[in-house]
Amino acid sequence: MSMSFLPEDMNWICRPCGVKLQPSTVELSYLGSVFSVELPACPQCGAVLISEELATGRMLQVEQLLEDK
Amino acid sequence: MIKLIDVVESVCPVCLRRVAANLIGEGETVSMVKECEEHGPFSTVIWRGPPAFESWLRPKIGYQGGRRDTSTDKGCPYDCGLCPEHAQRTCTALVEVTGRCNLQCPVCFAGSGNTAGSDEDIGQISDRFAAIFASTGGCNLQISGGEPTMREDLPDIINAAGKAGFTFIQLNTNGLRLAADLNLAEKYRDAGLSSVFLQFDGISDQPYRVLRGRPLWSEKQRALENLARVGLGVVLVATVARDVNEDMLWDIVRFGIEQQPTVRGVHFQPLSFFGRYPTGFTIDHVTLPEIMTDLQKQSAGILQAADFNPPGCEHALCSFSAKYLVNADGKPMRLGQGNSCNCQPTLAEEGARQSIDATARQWGPVTLPSAAVNHQPDDLDDFLARARTHTFSISAMAFQDVWNLNLERLRGCCIHVAPSGGGLVPFCAYNLTAMDGCSLYRRG
Repeated sequence: MSMSFLPEDMNWICRPCGVKLQPSTVELSYLGSVFSVELPACPQCGAVLISEELATGRMLQVEQLLEDK
Repeated sequence: MIKLIDVVESVCPVCLRRVAANLIGEGETVSMVKECEEHGPFSTVIWRGPPAFESWLRPKIGYQGGRRDTSTDKGCPYDCGLCPEHAQRTCTALVEVTGRCNLQCPVCFAGSGNTAGSDEDIGQISDRFAAIFASTGGCNLQISGGEPTMREDLPDIINAAGKAGFTFIQLNTNGLRLAADLNLAEKYRDAGLSSVFLQFDGISDQPYRVLRGRPLWSEKQRALENLARVGLGVVLVATVARDVNEDMLWDIVRFGIEQQPTVRGVHFQPLSFFGRYPTGFTIDHVTLPEIMTDLQKQSAGILQAADFNPPGCEHALCSFSAKYLVNADGKPMRLGQGNSCNCQPTLAEEGARQSIDATARQWGPVTLPSAAVNHQPDDLDDFLARARTHTFSISAMAFQDVWNLNLERLRGCCIHVAPSGGGLVPFCAYNLTAMDGCSLYRRG
């Protein structure tokens, strides 16, 4: 499956590690469902960047569906 | 051990006089036991098996707003209209556009037949739609009968409902004319119909022979084919009767799932003993917990009784529901949280508002995405695309008759019939008939 959700601007640095974020396949899990998506992640500590657009857009829609709201 | 759970108000099945009723628990069974000074004692089972009766209750803070067209004079259930005692707003208004029907079902809450009768004209019905919209402030609308498709001007009626402001318009039908006429579904859709509430008692001829008086299985399938062609949302509505089709519940659900995205859900209605029903029928209600448990058993655990929640809109004892997403492998995955609550009283009005929106979303036709995604689709996109077409609701509503009427439930009712004379009458009050067939509200 194709997976991608990367911002146009990939110029992000993980502040604690001082390392540039890299595209990475990440599993999002909520209420028993698991979703595989590609997100910018810190190659050192694994922290991921979830943009506002994703959080308030598709991710919110999925949450609401899973919650049946 | 026998225990008294609650004392409620009901009516005498013979004279409809108001009487006190005890809710008596014995093991997992709860009965309503009442006595009329003149006509003696009556006992009816209202709850059988898990989940426990008391765990299902959800107190609500009643809605006292909105327009009240009648005053409280004799008290519930004799002042419906709605009267100031009523504790819930209208979630669905039901308008009967004809008393005529092309079936003569042995079982019919409306007692409809094939007699000519006189239908209101489109102008009168339009006025009624406008009055309902003004009175309720907007709600979901169900066009019912009789059999509404008997009216040649039904597209005009649907259109008039839309003009009055209703956005979710549902047609309650046996589907026979939709099966026979290839073009009818399209006419209804183009007139603004959202959803079809299709009488659907099983997936073989046997339940139709008993409940409808003749085999109808092939006609039901043809109606569905014709509805699928035009993209209308369909809810399969099964009347569930003891020893008739209670062993077919999962079969109906499975069939409905196979008909996605046309079929948006299955709605079970345990047979109630009002209107017309065979005199030979034993008064034996199939209760909500039995349906939940049977769905689990018959589906071999694909569905769980614990999937189902009490309603936030009507009284807790009136219904259950659950929503699922059917995955590509055909397995339903339950959406939402389980049946748990802190059981603090909730606002009835808030429950009604949520229910109006949720019902329209789930029972209406599938919606297409507004815009193509501007990135490579991922799991989130796949899930959202699937959810647009493959959410599925399973629900049941237990109507009340003279045997099990609980006036607290009646006051919490959100499904209101709008009779031709004006006002709004809770569905179970409108259809209530005494043992001799006399009606409290229905005329003609």
